[in-house]
Amino acid sequence: MKNRLKVLRAERDWTQADLAQALDVSRQTINAIEKGKFDPSLPLAFKVARLFQMPIESIFQEEP
Amino acid sequence: MKQSKTASSRLDERLKQGSKTIFFWTLAWLICTALLAFGPKLIWNFNIPITLSVVALNIIAGIRMLWVNKQHLAQMDELQRKIHMNAMAVSLGLTMIFGSLYGLLEPAGLLDHTPNPGNILFVMGISYLVSVVLNNRKYS
Repeated sequence: MKNRLKVLRAERDWTQADLAQALDVSRQTINAIEKGKFDPSLPLAFKVARLFQMPIESIFQEEP
Repeated sequence: MKQSKTASSRLDERLKQGSKTIFFWTLAWLICTALLAFGPKLIWNFNIPITLSVVALNIIAGIRMLWVNKQHLAQMDELQRKIHMNAMAVSLGLTMIFGSLYGLLEPAGLLDHTPNPGNILFVMGISYLVSVVLNNRKYS
């Protein structure tokens, strides 16, 4: 699954640690999601969408 | 992001507190196990009621250790939990494979002493540790 987490984070000038803190996860988790190594669960994806105030599908896209 | 800092420290604090609790109960279980291993002969001269009490204490400490481990797992974030669950699966599988193999070595004539089931704990612990390290590298 592709995601725009890194871009959205950079737009807000947040570090991975900032985002990890906001989502109550480890920095390793944010890094793994950004690199596409780990797909977040649905609750975490919704949490991300709420934080960025965007629809979930504009942050996470299924890879063809 | 001020609010979020509180959230993150919550995760760190939860994990730190969980690790401390696991350490405490693992130590308690280890002490009970050591008492059971050496106590009957060296301390209380095979007194049955004392031995039974230590067996009960060992079971209580063991179950508590298992429970706090389960709680600690629940307090992790989802990637950490996945890493540890993968490690448990690998550890369980390898323990099953090598455990059954180890048991067959003596009847097959490849081992000149009776296999000690305690040795399986080493396979379990080492495979778990190696798997956690490898999974952490995979997701870093």
